[in-house]
Amino acid sequence: MLTGFILPCLYAFFASLGFGIFDNIRGNKLFFAGFCGSLGWFVYLAAERLLISDIECYFWATVAISLFAEFAARLQKVPATLYLVPALIPLVPGGGVYYSVEAAILGETERAASLGLHTLGIAGALAMGIITVTSLMRLYNVLAARRRLRRPASAPR
Amino acid sequence: MDDQKLIDTATAIGCRMLEHGAEIYRVEETISRICLAYGAKEVDVFAIPSSIVVSVTGADGGSWTRTRRIKNQNVDLDKLDRFNNLSRVICRDRPAADWVEGEIARINAQPVYSSALQVFACALVSFFFTLFFGGDLRDASVAFAAGLAMKYFSKRLERFGLSSFLINIAASATAGAFAFLSVRFGAALHIDKIIIGTLMNLVPGLSLTNSIRDFIVGDLMAGLMKLTETLLTATGIAIGVMLALRFLGGVFGGV
Repeated sequence: MLTGFILPCLYAFFASLGFGIFDNIRGNKLFFAGFCGSLGWFVYLAAERLLISDIECYFWATVAISLFAEFAARLQKVPATLYLVPALIPLVPGGGVYYSVEAAILGETERAASLGLHTLGIAGALAMGIITVTSLMRLYNVLAARRRLRRPASAPR
Repeated sequence: MDDQKLIDTATAIGCRMLEHGAEIYRVEETISRICLAYGAKEVDVFAIPSSIVVSVTGADGGSWTRTRRIKNQNVDLDKLDRFNNLSRVICRDRPAADWVEGEIARINAQPVYSSALQVFACALVSFFFTLFFGGDLRDASVAFAAGLAMKYFSKRLERFGLSSFLINIAASATAGAFAFLSVRFGAALHIDKIIIGTLMNLVPGLSLTNSIRDFIVGDLMAGLMKLTETLLTATGIAIGVMLALRFLGGVFGGV
Protein backbone atom coordinates (compact mmCIF):
# COMPACT_ATOMS: atom_id res chain seq x y z
CA MET A 1 0.00 0.00 0.00
CA LEU A 2 2.74 2.43 1.03
CA THR A 3 5.15 1.74 -1.81
CA GLY A 4 2.41 0.80 -4.28
CA PHE A 5 0.10 3.78 -3.84
CA ILE A 6 1.06 6.43 -1.30
CA LEU A 7 4.70 7.04 -2.19
CA PRO A 8 4.17 7.38 -5.97
CA CYS A 9 1.30 9.79 -5.32
CA LEU A 10 3.56 11.80 -3.01
CA TYR A 11 6.24 11.95 -5.72
CA ALA A 12 3.63 13.03 -8.25
CA PHE A 13 2.50 15.76 -5.82
CA PHE A 14 5.98 17.29 -5.64
CA ALA A 15 6.59 16.91 -9.37
CA SER A 16 3.39 18.83 -10.14
CA LEU A 17 4.26 21.38 -7.47
CA GLY A 18 7.64 21.97 -9.10
CA PHE A 19 6.06 22.54 -12.48
CA GLY A 20 3.55 24.86 -10.82
CA ILE A 21 6.53 26.99 -9.79
CA PHE A 22 7.84 27.06 -13.40
CA ASP A 23 4.39 28.15 -14.53
CA ASN A 24 4.22 30.87 -11.85
CA ILE A 25 1.19 29.56 -9.99
CA ARG A 26 1.04 31.48 -6.73
CA GLY A 27 -0.28 31.03 -3.21
CA ASN A 28 -2.47 28.15 -2.13
CA LYS A 29 -3.33 27.37 -5.77
CA LEU A 30 0.14 25.80 -5.96
CA PHE A 31 -0.91 23.17 -3.42
CA PHE A 32 -4.18 22.54 -5.24
CA ALA A 33 -2.14 21.97 -8.40
CA GLY A 34 0.11 19.49 -6.58
CA PHE A 35 -2.91 17.70 -5.12
CA CYS A 36 -4.51 17.50 -8.55
CA GLY A 37 -1.32 15.88 -9.89
CA SER A 38 -1.27 13.22 -7.17
CA LEU A 39 -5.00 12.59 -7.67
CA GLY A 40 -4.34 11.81 -11.34
CA TRP A 41 -1.62 9.34 -10.50
CA PHE A 42 -3.79 7.72 -7.78
CA VAL A 43 -6.59 7.13 -10.30
CA TYR A 44 -4.06 5.76 -12.79
CA LEU A 45 -2.73 3.25 -10.26
CA ALA A 46 -6.24 2.24 -9.21
CA ALA A 47 -7.35 1.82 -12.83
CA GLU A 48 -4.27 -0.29 -13.52
CA ARG A 49 -5.67 -2.93 -11.14
CA LEU A 50 -8.92 -3.14 -13.10
CA LEU A 51 -8.06 -2.50 -16.73
CA ILE A 52 -5.68 -4.24 -19.10
CA SER A 53 -4.53 -1.48 -21.44
CA ASP A 54 -2.47 1.34 -19.93
CA ILE A 55 -3.94 3.72 -22.53
CA GLU A 56 -7.37 3.30 -20.92
CA CYS A 57 -5.84 3.98 -17.49
CA TYR A 58 -4.34 7.22 -18.80
CA PHE A 59 -7.76 8.21 -20.14
CA TRP A 60 -9.55 7.73 -16.82
CA ALA A 61 -6.78 9.43 -14.87
CA THR A 62 -7.09 12.46 -17.15
CA VAL A 63 -10.87 12.49 -16.78
CA ALA A 64 -10.41 12.59 -12.99
CA ILE A 65 -7.87 15.42 -13.22
CA SER A 66 -10.02 17.44 -15.62
CA LEU A 67 -13.12 17.07 -13.44
CA PHE A 68 -11.18 18.20 -10.38
CA ALA A 69 -9.62 21.09 -12.33
CA GLU A 70 -13.00 22.23 -13.72
CA PHE A 71 -14.72 22.18 -10.33
CA ALA A 72 -11.82 23.78 -8.46
CA ALA A 73 -11.60 26.41 -11.22
CA ARG A 74 -15.32 27.13 -10.89
CA LEU A 75 -15.07 27.54 -7.12
CA GLN A 76 -12.07 29.85 -7.31
CA LYS A 77 -13.08 31.61 -10.56
CA VAL A 78 -9.82 30.82 -12.40
CA PRO A 79 -9.27 29.12 -15.79
CA ALA A 80 -9.12 25.33 -15.46
CA THR A 81 -5.77 25.34 -17.30
CA LEU A 82 -4.20 26.61 -14.10
CA TYR A 83 -4.63 23.19 -12.46
CA LEU A 84 -4.69 21.08 -15.59
CA VAL A 85 -1.20 21.97 -16.87
CA PRO A 86 0.85 21.04 -13.78
CA ALA A 87 -1.39 18.09 -12.88
CA LEU A 88 -0.90 16.47 -16.29
CA ILE A 89 2.88 16.45 -15.86
CA PRO A 90 3.18 13.06 -14.10
CA LEU A 91 0.97 11.50 -16.78
CA VAL A 92 2.37 13.03 -19.98
CA PRO A 93 4.49 10.64 -22.03
CA GLY A 94 7.70 12.68 -21.89
CA GLY A 95 9.78 9.56 -21.43
CA GLY A 96 8.09 7.93 -24.42
CA VAL A 97 8.83 10.89 -26.71
CA TYR A 98 12.45 10.88 -25.56
CA TYR A 99 13.03 7.14 -25.88
CA SER A 100 11.44 6.93 -29.33
CA VAL A 101 13.59 9.77 -30.69
CA GLU A 102 16.64 8.18 -29.06
CA ALA A 103 15.87 4.90 -30.84
CA ALA A 104 15.41 6.77 -34.11
CA ILE A 105 18.81 8.45 -33.74
CA LEU A 106 20.45 5.09 -32.96
CA GLY A 107 18.93 3.70 -36.16
CA GLU A 108 16.60 1.23 -34.40
CA THR A 109 13.69 2.06 -36.65
CA GLU A 110 11.30 -0.65 -35.48
CA ARG A 111 11.70 0.16 -31.79
CA ALA A 112 11.34 3.88 -32.60
CA ALA A 113 8.10 3.21 -34.48
CA SER A 114 6.54 1.03 -31.81
CA LEU A 115 7.56 3.37 -28.97
CA GLY A 116 6.41 6.37 -30.99
CA LEU A 117 2.99 4.89 -31.73
CA HIS A 118 2.47 3.92 -28.09
CA THR A 119 3.46 7.45 -27.06
CA LEU A 120 1.01 8.93 -29.54
CA GLY A 121 -1.66 6.65 -28.11
CA ILE A 122 -1.01 7.91 -24.58
CA ALA A 123 -1.02 11.54 -25.69
CA GLY A 124 -4.25 10.89 -27.60
CA ALA A 125 -5.83 9.33 -24.49
CA LEU A 126 -4.86 12.36 -22.42
CA ALA A 127 -6.21 14.76 -25.03
CA MET A 128 -9.47 12.82 -25.31
CA GLY A 129 -9.84 12.78 -21.52
CA ILE A 130 -9.51 16.56 -21.32
CA ILE A 131 -11.81 17.17 -24.26
CA THR A 132 -14.50 14.81 -22.95
CA VAL A 133 -14.73 16.73 -19.68
CA THR A 134 -14.52 20.23 -21.17
CA SER A 135 -17.16 19.38 -23.78
CA LEU A 136 -19.54 18.01 -21.13
CA MET A 137 -18.97 21.15 -19.06
CA ARG A 138 -19.73 23.38 -22.05
CA LEU A 139 -22.86 21.39 -22.83
CA TYR A 140 -24.00 21.79 -19.23
CA ASN A 141 -23.35 25.55 -19.37
CA VAL A 142 -25.33 25.97 -22.58
CA LEU A 143 -28.26 23.94 -21.26
CA ALA A 144 -28.24 25.86 -17.96
CA ALA A 145 -28.19 29.19 -19.81
CA ARG A 146 -31.13 28.10 -21.98
CA ARG A 147 -33.14 27.07 -18.96
CA ARG A 148 -32.52 30.48 -17.39
CA LEU A 149 -33.73 32.19 -20.59
CA ARG A 150 -36.88 30.11 -20.81
CA ARG A 151 -37.93 30.89 -17.24
CA PRO A 152 -39.84 34.19 -16.87
CA ALA A 153 -37.80 36.91 -15.23
CA SER A 154 -40.27 37.44 -12.37
CA ALA A 155 -40.43 33.78 -11.33
CA PRO A 156 -38.68 32.92 -8.08
CA ARG A 157 -35.49 30.94 -8.47
CA MET B 1 -13.53 53.40 -26.79
CA ASP B 2 -13.15 54.13 -30.52
CA ASP B 3 -12.74 51.28 -32.97
CA GLN B 4 -8.99 51.53 -33.41
CA LYS B 5 -8.35 51.73 -29.67
CA LEU B 6 -10.71 48.81 -29.18
CA ILE B 7 -8.98 46.49 -31.64
CA ASP B 8 -5.55 47.46 -30.27
CA THR B 9 -6.55 46.75 -26.70
CA ALA B 10 -8.39 43.51 -27.43
CA THR B 11 -5.49 42.20 -29.53
CA ALA B 12 -2.98 43.19 -26.87
CA ILE B 13 -4.88 41.24 -24.22
CA GLY B 14 -5.21 38.20 -26.51
CA CYS B 15 -1.53 38.42 -27.36
CA ARG B 16 -0.47 38.39 -23.72
CA MET B 17 -2.80 35.47 -22.95
CA LEU B 18 -1.35 33.44 -25.82
CA GLU B 19 2.19 34.22 -24.65
CA HIS B 20 1.36 33.11 -21.14
CA GLY B 21 0.02 29.73 -22.22
CA ALA B 22 -3.69 30.14 -23.02
CA GLU B 23 -5.39 27.70 -25.40
CA ILE B 24 -6.13 28.91 -28.94
CA TYR B 25 -9.91 28.87 -28.48
CA ARG B 26 -9.65 30.91 -25.28
CA VAL B 27 -7.64 33.60 -27.07
CA GLU B 28 -9.99 33.77 -30.05
CA GLU B 29 -13.09 33.86 -27.82
CA THR B 30 -11.67 36.54 -25.54
CA ILE B 31 -10.77 38.89 -28.37
CA SER B 32 -14.10 38.56 -30.15
CA ARG B 33 -16.11 38.92 -26.92
CA ILE B 34 -14.31 42.13 -25.97
CA CYS B 35 -14.87 43.62 -29.43
CA LEU B 36 -18.56 42.61 -29.49
CA ALA B 37 -19.08 44.03 -25.99
CA TYR B 38 -18.10 47.48 -27.27
CA GLY B 39 -20.57 47.29 -30.14
CA ALA B 40 -18.50 45.92 -33.02
CA LYS B 41 -20.74 44.47 -35.73
CA GLU B 42 -18.45 41.70 -36.89
CA VAL B 43 -15.26 40.20 -35.51
CA ASP B 44 -12.96 37.62 -37.11
CA VAL B 45 -10.04 36.26 -35.14
CA PHE B 46 -7.42 33.80 -36.31
CA ALA B 47 -4.80 32.70 -33.82
CA ILE B 48 -1.92 30.24 -34.05
CA PRO B 49 0.83 29.91 -31.45
CA SER B 50 3.04 32.45 -33.24
CA SER B 51 0.57 35.04 -34.50
CA ILE B 52 -2.86 36.64 -34.12
CA VAL B 53 -4.92 38.29 -36.89
CA VAL B 54 -8.02 40.29 -35.92
CA SER B 55 -10.50 42.01 -38.21
CA VAL B 56 -13.27 44.15 -36.78
CA THR B 57 -16.20 45.88 -38.49
CA GLY B 58 -17.19 48.79 -36.27
CA ALA B 59 -20.66 50.10 -35.48
CA ASP B 60 -20.24 52.85 -38.10
CA GLY B 61 -19.32 50.32 -40.81
CA GLY B 62 -15.57 51.05 -41.01
CA SER B 63 -13.31 48.05 -40.71
CA TRP B 64 -9.92 47.55 -39.07
CA THR B 65 -7.36 44.77 -39.11
CA ARG B 66 -4.57 44.18 -36.65
CA THR B 67 -1.82 41.55 -36.76
CA ARG B 68 0.50 40.65 -33.92
CA ARG B 69 3.50 38.33 -34.06
CA ILE B 70 4.25 36.31 -30.93
CA LYS B 71 7.98 35.71 -30.69
CA ASN B 72 8.44 33.77 -27.50
CA GLN B 73 6.15 31.94 -25.18
CA ASN B 74 6.72 31.99 -21.46
CA VAL B 75 4.04 30.14 -19.59
CA ASP B 76 2.80 32.23 -16.66
CA LEU B 77 -0.53 30.91 -15.43
CA ASP B 78 -0.90 33.60 -12.76
CA LYS B 79 -0.88 36.37 -15.37
CA LEU B 80 -3.11 34.27 -17.65
CA ASP B 81 -5.64 34.06 -14.81
CA ARG B 82 -5.48 37.83 -14.24
CA PHE B 83 -5.94 38.65 -17.95
CA ASN B 84 -8.83 36.22 -18.06
CA ASN B 85 -10.49 38.03 -15.15
CA LEU B 86 -9.76 41.41 -16.73
CA SER B 87 -11.45 40.36 -19.97
CA ARG B 88 -14.49 39.23 -17.99
CA VAL B 89 -14.68 42.60 -16.23
CA ILE B 90 -14.26 44.41 -19.57
CA CYS B 91 -17.14 42.51 -21.18
CA ARG B 92 -19.39 43.14 -18.17
CA ASP B 93 -18.66 46.80 -17.34
CA ARG B 94 -17.25 48.19 -20.62
CA PRO B 95 -14.73 50.46 -18.82
CA ALA B 96 -12.87 53.39 -20.42
CA ALA B 97 -9.70 52.78 -22.45
CA ASP B 98 -7.41 54.46 -19.89
CA TRP B 99 -8.55 52.18 -17.09
CA VAL B 100 -8.00 49.08 -19.23
CA GLU B 101 -4.51 50.21 -20.21
CA GLY B 102 -3.66 50.81 -16.56
CA GLU B 103 -4.86 47.33 -15.66
CA ILE B 104 -2.81 45.72 -18.45
CA ALA B 105 0.31 47.51 -17.21
CA ARG B 106 -0.46 46.47 -13.63
CA ILE B 107 -0.81 42.79 -14.63
CA ASN B 108 2.40 42.89 -16.67
CA ALA B 109 4.21 44.12 -13.56
CA GLN B 110 3.03 41.18 -11.42
CA PRO B 111 5.93 39.26 -9.85
CA VAL B 112 7.32 35.93 -11.03
CA TYR B 113 9.23 33.42 -8.92
CA SER B 114 12.93 34.28 -8.59
CA SER B 115 15.53 32.47 -10.71
CA ALA B 116 16.96 30.80 -7.62
CA LEU B 117 13.59 29.32 -6.71
CA GLN B 118 13.09 28.11 -10.30
CA VAL B 119 16.47 26.39 -10.25
CA PHE B 120 15.49 24.77 -6.95
CA ALA B 121 12.13 23.70 -8.41
CA CYS B 122 13.94 22.03 -11.30
CA ALA B 123 16.09 20.09 -8.83
CA LEU B 124 12.98 19.15 -6.85
CA VAL B 125 11.24 17.86 -9.98
CA SER B 126 14.36 15.84 -10.93
CA PHE B 127 14.58 14.36 -7.43
CA PHE B 128 10.97 13.22 -7.26
CA PHE B 129 10.72 12.00 -10.85
CA THR B 130 13.80 9.80 -10.33
CA LEU B 131 12.06 8.23 -7.32
CA PHE B 132 8.84 8.09 -9.33
CA PHE B 133 10.48 6.07 -12.10
CA GLY B 134 11.94 3.62 -9.57
CA GLY B 135 15.37 5.04 -8.75
CA ASP B 136 16.65 4.80 -5.16
CA LEU B 137 17.54 7.69 -2.85
CA ARG B 138 21.15 7.89 -4.08
CA ASP B 139 19.97 8.14 -7.70
CA ALA B 140 17.51 10.83 -6.68
CA SER B 141 20.21 12.84 -4.88
CA VAL B 142 22.40 12.76 -7.97
CA ALA B 143 19.41 13.81 -10.05
CA PHE B 144 18.82 16.69 -7.61
CA ALA B 145 22.36 17.98 -8.25
CA ALA B 146 22.01 17.37 -11.99
CA GLY B 147 18.74 19.33 -12.01
CA LEU B 148 20.35 22.26 -10.19
CA ALA B 149 23.28 22.34 -12.64
CA MET B 150 21.06 21.90 -15.70
CA LYS B 151 18.65 24.71 -14.90
CA TYR B 152 21.41 27.08 -13.77
CA PHE B 153 23.36 26.42 -16.95
CA SER B 154 20.38 26.86 -19.27
CA LYS B 155 19.35 30.07 -17.47
CA ARG B 156 22.85 31.43 -18.14
CA LEU B 157 22.67 30.37 -21.80
CA GLU B 158 19.24 31.98 -22.28
CA ARG B 159 20.86 35.38 -21.76
CA PHE B 160 22.95 34.93 -24.91
CA GLY B 161 19.80 34.60 -26.99
CA LEU B 162 20.56 31.11 -28.29
CA SER B 163 17.72 29.17 -29.87
CA SER B 164 15.86 26.81 -27.58
CA PHE B 165 17.02 23.84 -29.68
CA LEU B 166 20.68 24.57 -28.83
CA ILE B 167 19.86 25.31 -25.19
CA ASN B 168 18.10 21.95 -24.96
CA ILE B 169 21.15 20.17 -26.35
CA ALA B 170 23.42 21.88 -23.82
CA ALA B 171 21.05 21.32 -20.88
CA SER B 172 20.46 17.65 -21.59
CA ALA B 173 24.19 17.09 -22.17
CA THR B 174 24.76 18.50 -18.68
CA ALA B 175 22.21 16.08 -17.22
CA GLY B 176 23.69 13.17 -19.16
CA ALA B 177 27.22 14.02 -18.01
CA PHE B 178 26.14 14.20 -14.35
CA ALA B 179 24.38 10.86 -14.57
CA PHE B 180 27.27 9.17 -16.38
CA LEU B 181 30.02 10.43 -14.08
CA SER B 182 28.12 9.64 -10.88
CA VAL B 183 27.41 6.08 -11.99
CA ARG B 184 30.93 5.60 -13.41
CA PHE B 185 32.50 6.64 -10.11
CA GLY B 186 30.08 4.76 -7.93
CA ALA B 187 27.90 7.52 -6.46
CA ALA B 188 24.71 5.97 -7.85
CA LEU B 189 23.48 2.87 -9.63
CA HIS B 190 20.78 3.50 -12.22
CA ILE B 191 21.93 5.81 -15.01
CA ASP B 192 18.69 5.57 -17.01
CA LYS B 193 16.53 6.52 -14.00
CA ILE B 194 18.67 9.58 -13.27
CA ILE B 195 18.70 10.71 -16.88
CA ILE B 196 14.96 10.43 -17.51
CA GLY B 197 14.15 11.83 -14.05
CA THR B 198 16.21 14.94 -14.74
CA LEU B 199 15.08 15.26 -18.34
CA MET B 200 11.41 15.27 -17.29
CA ASN B 201 12.03 19.00 -16.81
CA LEU B 202 12.64 19.37 -20.54
CA VAL B 203 10.74 16.61 -22.36
CA PRO B 204 7.80 17.89 -24.38
CA GLY B 205 5.08 15.52 -23.18
CA LEU B 206 2.71 18.37 -22.46
CA SER B 207 3.14 20.04 -25.83
CA LEU B 208 2.49 16.69 -27.54
CA THR B 209 -0.74 16.31 -25.55
CA ASN B 210 -1.78 19.89 -26.29
CA SER B 211 -1.00 19.45 -29.97
CA ILE B 212 -3.34 16.45 -30.20
CA ARG B 213 -5.93 18.43 -28.24
CA ASP B 214 -5.69 21.20 -30.85
CA PHE B 215 -6.04 18.66 -33.68
CA ILE B 216 -9.19 17.19 -32.14
CA VAL B 217 -10.92 20.53 -31.58
CA GLY B 218 -10.07 21.59 -35.15
CA ASP B 219 -7.16 24.03 -34.70
CA LEU B 220 -5.07 22.13 -37.23
CA MET B 221 -2.41 24.80 -37.77
CA ALA B 222 -1.78 25.16 -34.04
CA GLY B 223 -1.65 21.38 -33.69
CA LEU B 224 0.89 21.02 -36.50
CA MET B 225 3.11 23.76 -35.06
CA LYS B 226 3.12 22.20 -31.60
CA LEU B 227 3.75 18.72 -33.03
CA THR B 228 6.78 20.02 -34.92
CA GLU B 229 8.00 21.78 -31.80
CA THR B 230 7.62 18.54 -29.84
CA LEU B 231 9.72 16.57 -32.31
CA LEU B 232 12.40 19.27 -32.45
CA THR B 233 12.65 19.51 -28.67
CA ALA B 234 12.82 15.73 -28.24
CA THR B 235 15.50 15.51 -30.93
CA GLY B 236 17.56 18.23 -29.25
CA ILE B 237 17.35 16.48 -25.89
CA ALA B 238 18.27 13.08 -27.32
CA ILE B 239 21.23 14.56 -29.22
CA GLY B 240 22.48 16.28 -26.05
CA VAL B 241 22.34 13.13 -23.94
CA MET B 242 23.98 11.01 -26.63
CA LEU B 243 26.77 13.55 -27.10
CA ALA B 244 27.55 13.49 -23.38
CA LEU B 245 27.36 9.70 -23.06
CA ARG B 246 29.44 9.01 -26.18
CA PHE B 247 32.11 11.57 -25.33
CA LEU B 248 32.47 10.60 -21.66
CA GLY B 249 32.16 6.92 -22.55
CA GLY B 250 35.10 7.37 -24.91
CA VAL B 251 37.18 9.11 -22.25
CA PHE B 252 36.35 7.04 -19.13
CA GLY B 253 35.09 3.76 -20.60
CA GLY B 254 31.51 2.50 -20.46
CA VAL B 255 29.38 1.94 -17.38
